[in-house]
Amino acid sequence: MTNREVFSDATQMAGTGETMIELEGVDKFFGDFQALKSINIRVGKQEVIVVIGPSGSGKSTMIRCINRLEKHDRGRITVNGIDLSDDIKNIQEIRKETGMVFQQFNLFPHLSVIDNITLGPRQVRNLPKKQAEDLAMDLLNRVQIPEQAQKYPGQLSGGQQQRVAIARSLAMNPQVMLFDEPTSALDPEMIKEVLDVMQELATSGMTMIVVTHEMGFAREVADRVVFMADGEIVEVGSPEHFFTNPEEDRTKLFLSQIL
Amino acid sequence: MTTTTPQQLTVTRTTRAAAWLRKNLFSTWYNTALTIVFGAFILFVLFRLLGFLLDIDTTIIRVNLKLYMTGRFPNEQLERLWIGVYITSAGIGLFARAIARNAEVKALDAGMAIDHAGWQSIIRRFWPILVLVAIILGFTQTPLPALLTLGAAAIGIGAYVSGAALPRAVIKRSWLIPLVGTVAFYLGVAGFGGVGWDKWGGFFVNIVLTIAGITLAFPLGLMLALGRRSTLPVVRYLSVTYIEFLRGVPMISLLLLGAFALGFLIPGDQQFSLFIRLLIAITLFQSAYIAEVVRGGLQSVPKGQIEAGQSLGLSPWKTMRLIVLPQALRNVIPAMVGQFISLFKDTTLVSIVKLLDLLLAAQVSTAQPEFQAQGLQAVTLPFAALFFWVGCYVMSRESRRLERKLGVGER
Repeated sequence: MTNREVFSDATQMAGTGETMIELEGVDKFFGDFQALKSINIRVGKQEVIVVIGPSGSGKSTMIRCINRLEKHDRGRITVNGIDLSDDIKNIQEIRKETGMVFQQFNLFPHLSVIDNITLGPRQVRNLPKKQAEDLAMDLLNRVQIPEQAQKYPGQLSGGQQQRVAIARSLAMNPQVMLFDEPTSALDPEMIKEVLDVMQELATSGMTMIVVTHEMGFAREVADRVVFMADGEIVEVGSPEHFFTNPEEDRTKLFLSQIL
Repeated sequence: MTTTTPQQLTVTRTTRAAAWLRKNLFSTWYNTALTIVFGAFILFVLFRLLGFLLDIDTTIIRVNLKLYMTGRFPNEQLERLWIGVYITSAGIGLFARAIARNAEVKALDAGMAIDHAGWQSIIRRFWPILVLVAIILGFTQTPLPALLTLGAAAIGIGAYVSGAALPRAVIKRSWLIPLVGTVAFYLGVAGFGGVGWDKWGGFFVNIVLTIAGITLAFPLGLMLALGRRSTLPVVRYLSVTYIEFLRGVPMISLLLLGAFALGFLIPGDQQFSLFIRLLIAITLFQSAYIAEVVRGGLQSVPKGQIEAGQSLGLSPWKTMRLIVLPQALRNVIPAMVGQFISLFKDTTLVSIVKLLDLLLAAQVSTAQPEFQAQGLQAVTLPFAALFFWVGCYVMSRESRRLERKLGVGER
């Protein structure tokens, strides 16, 4: 694992020291409502960031801006050296670099598990069928459900579906993984199997931004915890610092409500 | 309401029937009155219908069978239509085999049991067509059509069996078979000095208009539905205008325009035949409806599906083609088949502009000197209706089957 010093400045990183994602002064509006207010954050290579905060605080919006599922209105976003602009080619380059896992899994119900996973590599990376299927089986082994390869998403449990969704993202060989509340739609007994896969992924050196309400995961796996409220980053710190000695009142209030 | 007591369950069949009658038909005085009134009415209708059926003279059908089936197709070229029939049965046989083979490969991949469709299931699925063919053959005046039909069946079965020898590349692209079959069919019927489609008629023309209408209107409707959702304002407004305009006019007006006005819009001496002009009118009209059906399907696909495709780096077009459309089209199978069924029945509207389809043939045959003014529409129109009922019923059954099959792994 990487070092875990205290960083109160969101632009200071843990990880290897190289920058993977950078957001500078990012604003986002939904009509008159400002969802993101001048967000500044730098994420290092191999760093694991956990974003927490009350609902409506802009956590999901922030990570959805990073791969342009939402368009930010002001500021700069850079992923692995690529500047996010309006150019569709450019957007697609960034999407190839970033995997995304959704709260509702969003598996393709008309495709079998293995076809869900091979779709991206075959259609975007032009991998031959055989090679893509070998890759998919490797990934299914990694998320520990190789026996489900030929089933359809509707035949799997929620936890299994989310693990397939993770495998599907990994098949594109992304540099960054974004997780948008990956366990919020799961029954309690299935949360652990998904978190285990994510922890293994973090250990392997994947750069990750995870929006979650799983404080145990934040404490154990995060290099830095980011607390957001009202569209702003309120506080950033190492898990020890963040959970034992938060500085901001809003952070203290939030933690007192959930812990 | 009477309740069933244990004793009643053990009594004999006749008393149970009496109890059932009492409970369902004669429970109160007004129920009894209704039973008597409606019972008398039903008996009366049955009596009249039976009298009509026993008294029916089917000579008009026997004499005009060729007119009903093919219109005024020249007698000396009838063998060309049989060539068409043979090409069709060979194509169906090969196509069915290719589809079955593909399903087998898929089932094997998924480790599922292969679902062997036996001849029983064919009969269960297509019995109305078999009955219709039997009825038609029952009205023929020589045994030749029956023999030729047997030949067609033999060719179909032979094609299915020998379809096993099709190369893998063809089986994978099974849509090639209907495509090649259609070209072969046209060449067989109309090519090499045969009569063109302006001489086609009877039920044959209803079938051809339906199949050609579906194959042309579906892609056009699909494009219109996508155009209506386009981010380019020009494309969007053109699509919306087209759809709303064509949905806003009666189909008959389009057929009349096609028959009488379309010719003036086409420059030069080149004139399309009436058949083609009507096919254009039908296609334009139906595509607007199909576009709306597809649009409903597109809206039924959750936004998360598009986002998942986008975040894999798929282009907007590939997201549409590989993720949204397959789900959207599956969701609208019932509505789409409903549209096809109504297209099938609407092909009879071409009789308005005197294209001699089955309906018009059934009507004009009753004006022939030996049959006129005898109320024989009561014989010919139900006979014509039977053709359409068979087609619609089979389409509707097949659509439910397709829905179930594609529902594999539905959420």
